[in-house]
Amino acid sequence: MGDVILTMKGIDKSFPGVHALDHVDLEVRRGEVHALMGENGAGKSTLMKVLTGIYKKDSGTITYEGREVEFQNTREAQDAGVVIVHQELNMVGDLTVAQNIFIGREPKKGIRIDDKKMIEDSKALFDELHIDINPREKMNELTVGKQQMCEIAKAISHHAKLIIFDEPSAALTEKEIADLFNIIRDLRKKNLGIVYISHRMDEIKVITDRVTVMRDGCYVGTLVTKDCTKEDIINMMVGRVIYEEPKTHSMVPKDAPVVLKVENLNAGRMVQDVSFELRKGEILGFSGLMGAGRTETARAIFGADPKQSGKISIMGKDGQLHEVTINSPQDAVKAGIGYLSEDRKRYGIVVEKSITENSTLASMEDFCNGPFINKVKEKKAAEKYIKELATKTPSADQLVVNLSGGNQQKVVIAKWLVRNSDILIFDEPTRGIDVGAKNEIYKLMNKLVSEGKSIIMISSEMTEILRMSDRIVIMCEGRKTGELMIEEATQERIMDKATRNID
Amino acid sequence: MEKFKQNPIVRKIGFNRVVLIGVLIAMYIVFCVAIPGFVGLARILDTLNYVYFLGFLSLGVTFVIATGGIDFSIGPVMFCCALIAGYCLNMHGVPIGASILISILVGLAFGLFNGYLVAYWSVPPFIVSMASMNIGKGIGAVFTKTQSVSWPMQGAPGGSFRSIVAVNGFPTGIIIFLAAAFVCGIVLYNTKAGRYILCLGSNREAVRLSGVNTKKWEMLAYVICGLLVGVAAVFFVAAYTTVQPGYGDQYNNEAIAGCVMGGTSMVGGLASILGTVIGVVTISLLQEGILALGLGKDIQLIVTGIIVIVAVYADVSARRKKN
Repeated sequence: MGDVILTMKGIDKSFPGVHALDHVDLEVRRGEVHALMGENGAGKSTLMKVLTGIYKKDSGTITYEGREVEFQNTREAQDAGVVIVHQELNMVGDLTVAQNIFIGREPKKGIRIDDKKMIEDSKALFDELHIDINPREKMNELTVGKQQMCEIAKAISHHAKLIIFDEPSAALTEKEIADLFNIIRDLRKKNLGIVYISHRMDEIKVITDRVTVMRDGCYVGTLVTKDCTKEDIINMMVGRVIYEEPKTHSMVPKDAPVVLKVENLNAGRMVQDVSFELRKGEILGFSGLMGAGRTETARAIFGADPKQSGKISIMGKDGQLHEVTINSPQDAVKAGIGYLSEDRKRYGIVVEKSITENSTLASMEDFCNGPFINKVKEKKAAEKYIKELATKTPSADQLVVNLSGGNQQKVVIAKWLVRNSDILIFDEPTRGIDVGAKNEIYKLMNKLVSEGKSIIMISSEMTEILRMSDRIVIMCEGRKTGELMIEEATQERIMDKATRNID
Repeated sequence: MEKFKQNPIVRKIGFNRVVLIGVLIAMYIVFCVAIPGFVGLARILDTLNYVYFLGFLSLGVTFVIATGGIDFSIGPVMFCCALIAGYCLNMHGVPIGASILISILVGLAFGLFNGYLVAYWSVPPFIVSMASMNIGKGIGAVFTKTQSVSWPMQGAPGGSFRSIVAVNGFPTGIIIFLAAAFVCGIVLYNTKAGRYILCLGSNREAVRLSGVNTKKWEMLAYVICGLLVGVAAVFFVAAYTTVQPGYGDQYNNEAIAGCVMGGTSMVGGLASILGTVIGVVTISLLQEGILALGLGKDIQLIVTGIIVIVAVYADVSARRKKN
């Protein structure tokens, strides 16, 4: 490890309703891989966004290469050699690999773009990194792993001195991760500073030199990786926060009736031949890597995206399964399904409208006399669920935009409870929600199933899957690759199935 | 200032509406002082004539803008309605009542056409309405063989329809217009249709994923607009008698300006019927004032253009501040 390249000290950042960073420190040296760890919502990504100028800090100092800096945008950070490789890839699918790498700074020959030089430079770059990619290929023809490599190559080509990897392995296969690690080791040798954000404990032990742990927006501590155990890190990450007890066995009786049966569902490349059953009172976890097709499966069942084939049956009032035709969300809602999207702001709530208007959106008919809305009745319903779900708000007239993530999620849940949907699909229910509110959502889900609702829970957090599910369906590259009862499920067994199809 | 903003009446009406009323009154006073002979009932009645037809256009387009869409065809389509209905009245001896109905049906047909293309074929509203603007102009011209059409004068057979604007100097139009605005308000704020229109203007995908048939409700907004354009045509000829094929563009901007000045957001999701009414009166007075100053139509166009830009900019920057 060399000298210090980056010091962040006392970084503070608040958003309306959330204290995202509370005096956080971070120190990175040249030639080290520094892990930044913490639960979802701990503030890791926010901290990196403050560093690269996407967010403005409220207070604190950033010292980079010996001088105090405050980058105004990612461009400035890039020019100084600070580059971030995002977990969501920022590539233009229709352009070639070379065009993507040199986007915005294409080599010119007169006023024309010098394609030949661009491709040669890309080749040289890939050779240097020992990556095997054809620079002429279209971006969207590459696997996610290869796209990630391009993203890294692009970062390097900016003469980076400090590279931030924001959960780079989330969507990668074992083999691709091994390649990635080789590249990272290479970069370390070249004396670059590397920040590595990840949830995966095993990776941390393999690839990193030091670990900084964050929790609820606070700095917890920094450890030398080889001197500490997994448990040390987990303790620091979880701290005193008390979670719901992890599930050791399913509470759903063996003979609980099936409420939803999906057979041979096909919807594009991401949903191939998926079949499963959901029982009454059950939380069915859907696990898998990013891009495994879980969200696509949920959207196909819900009618949000078109499907090619497959049979969906739902338990009717008579307790028997009946085949239903779902061609639109309208059909799905009528059949008693509610869907909570992973992207609340885009697909879940109407942010400029009140809690009341959002709560009754899926069940307007129940609040109308003819064409007219009974506003007293709908407000009463909204207030009932504000109370029941403990939504923190001054009144039901509050606009949803003014609520925190956790409370917005409760409004979406209220929408489906007002509708009295029996089958609820929770897609990443706690994404972007802070730890306290997360617990409340868990409690709520357990309460709902105890009242006879059935839940499909898609989650990328292993701890969440193991804590909440009665049964776990595992998907990989659009196919179902396994199913485990909670009693037999372990992180390793799930990961094994989640990467089964690959290589 | 803050205290004034928190006043319950001000909050109910909306701060920017209160400001707009202030602007309106100030403008009237300026015109009265600056232009000899502007004071008096005659000018007010003139202005009201402008308010009626423009008001119906503006109320209509408020629904469309609430969905996040736009309709640039309203002015020319209004002329198309008046031309076709007037031609039927004059050349085919269709009774006045039926002619009025024809005008409304033509407007409705355009609304259905626009709405269907926007909602079900996902053609951008801008393109659809630009196209139907030209179609409207074309149909009006073809139907009348490019002749202008005059509706009957008061006292002539069928001229009694002009009572919708004024009876013996009493502006009956204002009563009809305000009643229509009231009904529009009820539709927008108190019915399922209005709720869906506003919500889908704010976040279409979230509404669709709540199990709502968003296409149907989006189309409805254009249909309502078309209907009101058909009504606007009747008020136009009741006040100004003659329509010529190939015109009407300028009223697009004026109607949209009235709507946006009143606080309806071009991005969709937020709409104010009261605001539209006040906005339309302001625009109408402004047009009247510019004409009385002897500045003519060209200056009207420039001023309205600037108002649209300023009003939309104010809306956009207010939103940016909020987020």
